[in-house]
Amino acid sequence: MKTIVVENVEFSYNRENALENVSFSVNEGDFVAVMGPNGSGKTTLLKLILGLLKPKSGKIKVFNLDPWENREKIQNYIGFMPQKEHISSNFPILVKDVVLLGRAARKRFSKLTKEDEKKAKEALMAVGLENYWLKKFNELSGGQQQRVLLARALAVDPKILLLDEPFNGVDIPSQDKIIEVMDKLAKKGVTILMVVHNINPLLHHINKVILLNRKLIAFGPPSEVLTAERMVETYGSSIPIVVCEEGYAHPLFGDTHG
Amino acid sequence: MDSILQPYIIRSILAILLIAVNASVAGSFTVFRNVSFLVAGASHAALAGAALAIVLTIYGIFNLDPIVGGAIFAVFVALSAGYAARDEGINTAIAISFAMSMSLAVLFISIIREYAARVWGLLMGDLFLLTDHDLTLMAISTLFVLIVAMLFYREFLFVSFDMEGALAFGINASIVNYLLLTIIAVSVVVMLKGVGAILVYAMFVAPAAAANEVARKISDVFILAFVIAALSGFFGILVSFYAEVSPGAIAALMASLTYFLSVAFKKIK
Repeated sequence: MKTIVVENVEFSYNRENALENVSFSVNEGDFVAVMGPNGSGKTTLLKLILGLLKPKSGKIKVFNLDPWENREKIQNYIGFMPQKEHISSNFPILVKDVVLLGRAARKRFSKLTKEDEKKAKEALMAVGLENYWLKKFNELSGGQQQRVLLARALAVDPKILLLDEPFNGVDIPSQDKIIEVMDKLAKKGVTILMVVHNINPLLHHINKVILLNRKLIAFGPPSEVLTAERMVETYGSSIPIVVCEEGYAHPLFGDTHG
Repeated sequence: MDSILQPYIIRSILAILLIAVNASVAGSFTVFRNVSFLVAGASHAALAGAALAIVLTIYGIFNLDPIVGGAIFAVFVALSAGYAARDEGINTAIAISFAMSMSLAVLFISIIREYAARVWGLLMGDLFLLTDHDLTLMAISTLFVLIVAMLFYREFLFVSFDMEGALAFGINASIVNYLLLTIIAVSVVVMLKGVGAILVYAMFVAPAAAANEVARKISDVFILAFVIAALSGFFGILVSFYAEVSPGAIAALMASLTYFLSVAFKKIK
C-alpha cells in the first residue's frame, strides 16, 4: 500500500525555488534515506509531507489525504524527529517530559493518563534509555538526546516516521541503536523517511534512496541510485563509490559529512 | 516607632506576593523561551502606552487608565516582536520595538509636561504608593496570567523547547507563541507600579534565571522563582521601612544577587 505519494511538487521560499518537479512514492514499510547537499530541499520535503507547508504546485498524498488540508489527521499518523540544533534545552526539562510532549500535544486540554506514561516508557525502552526517565534532558550526551527525541516520535505510535538528520553529533552506539530501532519498525510496516548526510551506516538497512538537489536526481533501490554520475549531479563534485563485500555501493564522503 | 503593620505596608506585601506569582509563572517561561529582553521591551512600551493614556485623558479625548494604556502597548510590542521574529531573530525585533516605544514615550511625555511625573512614577515604581485600585488591577491581571499559563502549560513548554517539533506534533505554535508573549507582557505591566520599568527586569527575570540554574525539574523552577521573588520583596520592604530607601531597589538588588549566587553555587557543585 502506498503511504506517501508526491507528484510534480514545486515549492519556493520568497520566489527562490526550494523544490522543482519532485515526484516519487513510498510504500508501507519502506525505509528511505533522503540525501542531498545543504539547501537541497530535504527539510522542506519533510515539512510538505507534514502539511506545514503548501506546495506551489503539484500534489502530495499521505494515506490518500492532502496533508495541507488535513494537517491534523495526517499528523496523527506521523512521528517527527527535528534537527537537534533547533532544540532549546536551557531549562531543567526531564527526559519523561520530553517523551510525553508528543502525546500531550495530541490530547489538547485533557489530562495525561497511565496509558500515555506506559507508551512513553515503552518508547524510551526501545531506544535503550529506560533508566533515564527522571534524568535532566540537558545533562545527556548528544547521542542520548537524539534517542530521547526519537522516543518522543515513537511514543505516538506512528505509521510514518520522518527523521531530520538524526545522526548529527551522535556517537556510534547511539547511531547503531537508532538504526536497529528503525529496522524493526520498518519490518513491522512503519514507513520511514530519514534525512542523512552520510548514508553508509544505513546502507545495509534501507530499501530506497532519494537523491535531491532541488530537483529529484534519482529515486529507487540504493544499488541503482548510488552511482558516481548521480553523486556528481547531486553534490557537484565527484564522490568515489566503493562496493563492499556484500555488494553494496558505498559513497565515500569526506570527513566533513555525517 | 510606628508599627510595621501600616495599611501601605500591608498593600506592599500583597503586591509583592502578586509580583512573585508573575515572576514565577511568566518569569520562568521568559527564561525557558529565551526572551528575557522582551521584559525590557514590554516595560518601556508600557511607559509609552501610559503616557499616551494620560495625553488622551487630559485632552478629554478618551478616559484611559495609564496602566491599561501601558498594557495595550506592551502587548502590542510583544505581538509585533513575535510577528517580526518569524524572519529575523526575536531579539532584533524587540530591540527595534524598544527603540520605537521609547521615542513615543519621550514624545508623549513632552506633550504632557506638567503630568509627566505620573509617567516617571512608572519608570521608578513605588511599592509604598500603591492604591487599592492598583492592587485590584494587579490581582486581575495576575489571575489572567495564571489561568492562561495553567491552560496552556504543555503547549508553552513544547514551544519553548522546540518550535518545529511542536508544529509537527499538531500544536498551533504561532498562536501559542503569541499567547505566551502576551502573558509575559501583561505580567511585566502588573509589576510596573510596584517596582518600575527600570527594575522590573531584575524582579522578573532574575528569580526565574536563578531558579533555573539550580532546579532539578521544571516545577522546582516555578516554586523557587516564587520564593526568591517573594523573599527579595519582603526584604526590600523590611529594609526600606527602617532605612527610608526604595523597597523596589533593595528587592531587585537581592533578586539579582541571588542569580549570581546560584550561578556560583552551580559552578562549585
